[in-house]
Amino acid sequence: MDGVFGNLMLGFSVALQPSVLAYAFAGCVIGTLVGMLPGLGPLAGISLLLPATFGLDPIVAIVLLAGVYYGAMYGGSTTSILMRIPGEAASVMTCIDGYAMTQRGRAGPALAIAAIGSFVAGTLSVIALMFLAPTLASFALRFGPPEYTALLTMGLLVLSYMSGGSMLKTLAMATVGLLFGMIGIDAMSGYTRFSYGQTELADGVGIVPVAVGLFGLSEILMTAGQAATPPAQRPTLRQLIPSMEEMRLSVGPIARGSFIGFLIGIIPGAAHIISSFVSYGIERRMSAHPERFGKGAIEGVAGPESANNAAATGAFVPMLALGVPTGPITAVMLAAIMVHGIAPGPMLITEQPQLFWGFVASMYVGNVVLLVLNLPLVGLFVNLLRIPYSYLYPAILCFCVLGVYSVSNSVVDIWIMLAMGGLGYVLRKFQFDLAPVALGLVLSPMLELSVRQSLAMSGGSYGIFFDRPIAITMFGAAAVLILLALKPLLFKSKDWRSGVGLDE
Amino acid sequence: MDESVSPTAVQRGLRGDHVAGLVLVAIAAFVAWENRVYPLGSMAAPGPGSVPLLLAAILGGLGLLIILRGSGSPLLNSIDWSEGRRGLVLLAVCAAATFALERIGYRLTMIAVLVFILGVVERKKPLATASVALGFALISYYLFATLLKVQLPRSPWGV
Repeated sequence: MDGVFGNLMLGFSVALQPSVLAYAFAGCVIGTLVGMLPGLGPLAGISLLLPATFGLDPIVAIVLLAGVYYGAMYGGSTTSILMRIPGEAASVMTCIDGYAMTQRGRAGPALAIAAIGSFVAGTLSVIALMFLAPTLASFALRFGPPEYTALLTMGLLVLSYMSGGSMLKTLAMATVGLLFGMIGIDAMSGYTRFSYGQTELADGVGIVPVAVGLFGLSEILMTAGQAATPPAQRPTLRQLIPSMEEMRLSVGPIARGSFIGFLIGIIPGAAHIISSFVSYGIERRMSAHPERFGKGAIEGVAGPESANNAAATGAFVPMLALGVPTGPITAVMLAAIMVHGIAPGPMLITEQPQLFWGFVASMYVGNVVLLVLNLPLVGLFVNLLRIPYSYLYPAILCFCVLGVYSVSNSVVDIWIMLAMGGLGYVLRKFQFDLAPVALGLVLSPMLELSVRQSLAMSGGSYGIFFDRPIAITMFGAAAVLILLALKPLLFKSKDWRSGVGLDE
Repeated sequence: MDESVSPTAVQRGLRGDHVAGLVLVAIAAFVAWENRVYPLGSMAAPGPGSVPLLLAAILGGLGLLIILRGSGSPLLNSIDWSEGRRGLVLLAVCAAATFALERIGYRLTMIAVLVFILGVVERKKPLATASVALGFALISYYLFATLLKVQLPRSPWGV
């Protein structure tokens, strides 16, 4: 315990440096704006900012990008509550009861509870991250290629099971992502695969052009011609104060949302989105008056908003402890660390204590900044939505081109982004989930390498995957998931996912 | 499917998932065909062609399952493509910008892109179009290239 607090003090000595504080503040402000703007989710925001972090200190870079991530979680709630426009996907559930509260003249308390819930969940999950990540990293030192094979396989299956929509479609998208990851030089044999003579493709397809294309550009293609945004209410500071009854009703959902969100955040997938769906479903089931949901129940705002913030922090646990991204956002953030020559993995916490503990401390600071920033300045931020979308989307489009080009000064990356934008648009029309494509792309080289290294270690025996306790446990969990997924296919029954809106 | 709907009322026709599944099977077949030039190795020592082939087989299988279970998906002609034309125009503009970026530089490319989208696609007033295009190109260049030291292409004329 003393060690943790000693390290945390080290972290605060880093996080409270004026330059780090300034970038944490900038990240939170940019994140809030990104979260509010339809068409720009946290992933697109982080991807676009990535090139600008190349010249920065690695701690500053990761603090800035993390600020954008959890800032977007805060910002997304504002437009959901005031205008029924989810600035980013995790805020979809907040729209339902948040906007209903606005229609009943309770926009202020809904915004306040969303911000307080986000703050509490964010802070609690940073505490959990602080204790869990170093423990997990020490445990992960026992991991060899077979364990990583099992972990990555389980991760992809968990992602498919937990994602919204059809599991078959999600698995197909993960496979497409894995195939994209096959492009480039094979690390074991040196063969260049599927590059068609393009030297830029020898290093593989980058996560940034794929992420910006699939999530940013495809969203613009879907929404470019939309009607003008409706006018937004701008509550004053006095109107933000919730009643005692609203506070009492929110305590349980905030606590449950924090816990559920953090747990879901650790496992792979679009955790912040899934967690808000699951939290909403659980609150509705647990409520003595479920009929209030959809008509302005404060629990429907408190639970999902807490859950998506806790999940955003939970996603950093495997990223920092294992060097394994749980989704495209953490994959881009890992890329930001690796650009500076820092190898992610279990040794990161011991070899780069200033980076890890500085990052943890900056999250405490970021949560306070966001609470202070979001409540009093909500009226100011809402002004951004007065800009007509017809002016906004061309600028976002130009930012997409700018951001993708700047990563490696390559027009090939822009062509990839355009192809992914078109692909993302078509896939969304056919109701495919896009997150597995990006995650599959990132995990593909790691998975292939670990499988082939395992076989090289064992002299070609597949028994290596079943001889080792950690690997067999994770493969067992993967097998259980497959069986659970097969159950509704074989017996025409519905599983728990349909209860929380995750199934078809 | 809603049980209250009589079987005769069910609309017949090609479903979205049938087409999606077919496309996935076609992609799997294409990957398998392109993969033939890479050595497969053996079960004990897989070569560079083994994992792509395995993934192509899985994708093909999943595509077939999506086709088989696709009868409950929306009809293909019920999918709304109303914004598709504008989307195609935007993609074409981006493609032209990609072609021009390293030839005429960042600022001129962005001005041209914004003038086209705002002036032609969105039919905004010329003054507003010019102000936004010039303002965005110059401010974003200053922010990224000058302040954040991101390398952005210039035209042969130094602009």
